Amino acid sequence: MKKLIFFVLSIFALSTLEVFGQCNADALSNACIPKLTAGFNFLKSYKIEKGGKDFVEYSYVFTKGTQYMINICAGVQPTDGIVVSLYDSNRNKVATSKVNGQFISAIAYPCNTTGIYYIQYTFDGSTSYCGGSALGFKR
Amino acid sequence: MRIVIIGLILTIFSACGSGKKKDEQALLEGLDTTKTEGPSISEEVIGSILEQIPSPLEISMLLKESGKKYNSSYLNSPDNTSKYNSNYKKALNLGVYGTDLGYTNIYEQNQDGVKYMASIKELADGLSIGQFFDIETIGRLATNSKNLDSLLLITTQNFNSINHYLQTQQRANLSVLFLTGGWLEALHITCEVAAANPGNKELQDTIGEQKIILENILLLLSFYKDVDQNMASLLTSMEELKKIYDKVNITYTYKESTFEIVDGVMVIKDNSSSTIEITPEDIANIRAATAAIRTKIIA
Repeated sequence: MKKLIFFVLSIFALSTLEVFGQCNADALSNACIPKLTAGFNFLKSYKIEKGGKDFVEYSYVFTKGTQYMINICAGVQPTDGIVVSLYDSNRNKVATSKVNGQFISAIAYPCNTTGIYYIQYTFDGSTSYCGGSALGFKR
Repeated sequence: MRIVIIGLILTIFSACGSGKKKDEQALLEGLDTTKTEGPSISEEVIGSILEQIPSPLEISMLLKESGKKYNSSYLNSPDNTSKYNSNYKKALNLGVYGTDLGYTNIYEQNQDGVKYMASIKELADGLSIGQFFDIETIGRLATNSKNLDSLLLITTQNFNSINHYLQTQQRANLSVLFLTGGWLEALHITCEVAAANPGNKELQDTIGEQKIILENILLLLSFYKDVDQNMASLLTSMEELKKIYDKVNITYTYKESTFEIVDGVMVIKDNSSSTIEITPEDIANIRAATAAIRTKIIA
């Protein structure tokens, strides 16, 4: 009988652990919104969760004359090895948030050319492969 | 002991069980059942293209910061909601009113904003997505101009939630219409402001740059042309606008960017450039074509 109770409790405990171990990218992306620098208006929040690919990618049309900010939030500060890179419509790299081994948690991009930009998140020594990000703009 | 075990098992199953599912089921049952027949491409691809469409708020901000005055005559009347009886019209005009609300918010025209909020809520309810529009909070924030940032934030979040939800419910066709309506209204307002301020290069460039977004919208509408007659008809109208935009040339010169770190933020210096070739005649034609499509949408 004790074995049965132990068995049932073990299953319950394991299932709970699984829930706690899940990536809550939604919460992390929401947490990123108020971290946009003052003056930037929120546009989008992005979930960063490693799936089948080595990277997570979103795209957005940036407008000339507008400044954009993209930040990163992770469970482990500052970015848990998450790197954001920005590519223009021709896939030229415009910016990356890892410089000289340092992970920067926000990039500001004053856009000079209207077009589709690709916002790509990669993992460099990440422990959780889980994070969130927010995109804001100001004129 | 047996009672303890049974109680334990029941507790676990009820905790992991159907409480949430029941809520979701109730919500699903309350949904409008009018789903379109499937598009010709995966919802995932449609979602990724929809994500690219910029917020109309960006254009409203440009208009305000370039010193242009608020003009309610550019907007669709908030009293028109009773005209919109089909899901097609409701979704398009939800987008139109969303842009109009953003415009009134940016200009802090709270009285007009409240009317647009009511119209948006009515259309959103009609599409069974009213639960995502927090009209009480928005109404409270709108009463004080100091709340502008929060007001813009919460309305953007509400509209993002609506778009996300529609896509998860395989109703991305409504998202396409919603974003098309919003984009067209922003283009219409920009054209009207440009007509009142001839010679304003920034406004002319903004109108020209919309060529990039129009191409995405045409692509999105094309996915539904064989399964939705209304969307096929809208696509035909938008293709007329595209013919005018074909005369607009955008040239792009890439140059590697540089950066500096300021207060922990990487600030990029974009060394690339672009030029937009657009004539006053092109602008006049775009304005006329946009007005013609919009008139059909808001009628």
